[in-house]
Amino acid sequence: MEKALMAFAAALCVCGGCVTGIMEGKVAIQAVESIGKNPDAADKIQSMAIVGAAISETCAIYCLLVAFLIIFILGA
Amino acid sequence: MKLQTSVYSIVIITVFMAVLLFFINRKLRDFDPLSEPKGIVLLMIVFAKMIDNMVKGKTNDKIAEKLTPYIMTVASYIFLSNIAGLFALETPTSNLSVTLVLAAITCVLIEVYSAKTRGMKDYIKSWFEPFAPFVILNIMSKFSTLLSLSLRLFGNILSGGILMSVIYQMLGSISKMIPLIGKFNLVGVLVAPVLHFYFDLFSGVMQAFIFITLTISFIGKELPSK
Repeated sequence: MEKALMAFAAALCVCGGCVTGIMEGKVAIQAVESIGKNPDAADKIQSMAIVGAAISETCAIYCLLVAFLIIFILGA
Repeated sequence: MKLQTSVYSIVIITVFMAVLLFFINRKLRDFDPLSEPKGIVLLMIVFAKMIDNMVKGKTNDKIAEKLTPYIMTVASYIFLSNIAGLFALETPTSNLSVTLVLAAITCVLIEVYSAKTRGMKDYIKSWFEPFAPFVILNIMSKFSTLLSLSLRLFGNILSGGILMSVIYQMLGSISKMIPLIGKFNLVGVLVAPVLHFYFDLFSGVMQAFIFITLTISFIGKELPSK
């Protein structure tokens, strides 16, 4: 019973990543749109988009980390 | 005292990188600047030019001269560490201690360049901005940079490794259904290379690139605007 609850909790934690996925897709959409409007600024937009996506990805990584902690440290 | 298994792979990668860089240095020294570059020399020239342009875009020429060699070293070390899984070594970057050290170097560099550009007096003052009680928040924001930089690299590489081992288990249980050669993981051999290409090579290059991009832009943020 306890193990099942832990697995459920870990699965719930990873659900936090889905919002990050949507929003990172939004970053890519906006970057492509603005490069289409202004192709000269492609280099600047590219590096900014990568940095923005990487920073917002931290949230998903924290979700993953909490799930790992639940599985490997609480569950061990 | 028991050593962690990734210590051995760190030593192996460091020795390998030292030998590799020694030979590349030999080749670059013997290289005639007037002739056409090819092979490893061309690769190194393209790599150095790319990093140099990235650093010069965010900082000024004087700092770029000192920062570019460090960034190149970190980029090649992180890349080699990320693809160590392909050579049956344990990936050093899936150990939090390694990524924490790399992120700590970045954080120290940010503080050093911040102190250099503002002067010592203004630097100490910047800890108490906008007014004195904010010192707690300022310290927390410095630690959050350290934490997010190290955990990003660690989490991405570790999750790739765990996903690969789970996939291998699944493929192993599928190939057990094949009669006669069930013990040999046939499906794994057929399917896994594509996934290795994504999880080890692509994500390894991408994470090394993101780490150095963030390092450069965090340092460039502290410098006066051009």
